[in-house]
Amino acid sequence: MPDTTEDAMLTDLGRRLISGSLSDAAILRATEATPNVPILPWVNVVKIGGQSIMDRGRSAVFPVTDEIVANLHRHKMILGTGAGTRARHVYSMAIDLGLPIGVLTVLGTAVAWQNAQMLQYLLAKHGIAFLEPEGFASLPHYLMERGAVICQGMPPYKLWEANPGVGRIPPQRTDTGCFLIAEVFGARKMIYVKDEDGLYTADPKKDAKATHIPRISVQELLKRDLDDLIVERAVLELMLNARNVKEIQFVNGLKPGQLTAALDGEPVGTVIFNAGAGPGDSA
Amino acid sequence: MSAEKQGAQHVSSRLMRESLMDRRLIASTDSPVRPILPNLNVIQIGGLSIVDRGHKALLPLLDEIVSNQESHAQVIGVGPGVRGRHILSVGLDLGLPTGALATLGAKSSAQNAYMVSCLLASHGFVYLEAPFIVQLLPAMLAAARGAVFNGVPPYDLWEHPPALGKLPPHGSDAGSYLVGEVFGARAIILLKDVDGLYTADPKTHPDARFIPEISAVDLMRMKLETLPIEPVVLELLTRARLATSVRIINGLVPGNLSRALKGEPIGTRIHA
Repeated sequence: MPDTTEDAMLTDLGRRLISGSLSDAAILRATEATPNVPILPWVNVVKIGGQSIMDRGRSAVFPVTDEIVANLHRHKMILGTGAGTRARHVYSMAIDLGLPIGVLTVLGTAVAWQNAQMLQYLLAKHGIAFLEPEGFASLPHYLMERGAVICQGMPPYKLWEANPGVGRIPPQRTDTGCFLIAEVFGARKMIYVKDEDGLYTADPKKDAKATHIPRISVQELLKRDLDDLIVERAVLELMLNARNVKEIQFVNGLKPGQLTAALDGEPVGTVIFNAGAGPGDSA
Repeated sequence: MSAEKQGAQHVSSRLMRESLMDRRLIASTDSPVRPILPNLNVIQIGGLSIVDRGHKALLPLLDEIVSNQESHAQVIGVGPGVRGRHILSVGLDLGLPTGALATLGAKSSAQNAYMVSCLLASHGFVYLEAPFIVQLLPAMLAAARGAVFNGVPPYDLWEHPPALGKLPPHGSDAGSYLVGEVFGARAIILLKDVDGLYTADPKTHPDARFIPEISAVDLMRMKLETLPIEPVVLELLTRARLATSVRIINGLVPGNLSRALKGEPIGTRIHA
């Protein structure tokens, strides 16, 4: 290995990073002892559901956009969109054709993109812009000037999406993409706008005895090992390792006022929180 | 959670109205995947192990790639090397999050990939950024003579926070593996400055044993202190559909790459 370790400007950790192995647990542990600087600590990431909101058309979307507009001068928002029924159709087709996960991710991203564009047409008159992942460096400007920006919710993994353990549906979709935006920017809130009041002990549309769960830890939720979830399983797994996002909230976009209440810090819907002891704690 | 979504406008499909978080539904989608480019060979050139050594290490290797051009379709991933380590150091010191570190580090490997593509340009190799891998790789391989890409995957700000520490877990080994997996490549060959995998670091442990072949699960169970491959690749291998193995070879030894491309059992093969 070339000797590049003599640079006196390097920190002690820097010298170890350059001369050591990045798979060495001792070096990885040493990187914990650096500060966590939140990049946009005042921003709120709001995910607008695909099947739950966008696919319903104006009866669901207009009240949500009205509520977003009413909050423009009160809260800064990154608005991510879900995919929904067209993604399900294209996933079905691509699975039938034998195409791999990475290709399904490219296809699903196009659907979330369409929904983001539609949302942007509706909010354009309020000066709200749409940003591709490549344009995220401009986020602070748009947020400062206009209060919100729109992006598609899928992470930009494209062909590089990893396989799930079971099945052929991309495991990291728009819930995950929006969560990771909140995590990297150290956002104030991660709010998912769906078509239910949050999490229940069973499906309330099928089971009359189902009760609402206002607050639950991610550890407890994973322990219950439910067959179905309100959020992509990948989000729960990432929450265990997240340095910045300690809780996520689910609100019903079909009930006017819930999004505003969540932005204002009220405990509406369901909050899933990390009960771990510290950064990187996954116990 | 719920399946029935009253009022939504649906496109009819097998997954319509279903929860994509439902385990039974997810399991029901299991079915075979077709390879897109089954003749492809993905070759990863290590940053620290090869590129940072300069022309003495790199040029003979590129000559060997060119000499295999007629017989093998090759796409070349390149790692970030020491500049990637340096920006990790500065970025960590400034308190930046993992996603920011990943975005920054990916530019170092892009530089290395671009330099490699310049050295192969006269032989018809092209440099492809991630969007062009998505759109153009098959066409490029039909028309051009090979391609070079940034080994680090385009996870950028969306990189996962790792369980331990803050370093981006998906580096150029993972990116090259995932390119091989999605295209259903014939071989994934990782070129490093070691002969393969040992039970301990042979530079400090003369009694270390060489491991010619091992499963990803067995290797994870060994809990070796350091590995010549990113640990995340082992996890990815356990979920492989098409790319069920990777081979680590010493890229500083002339002839190794040609032998690996012929399918000879050289270096270490890690399989699913």
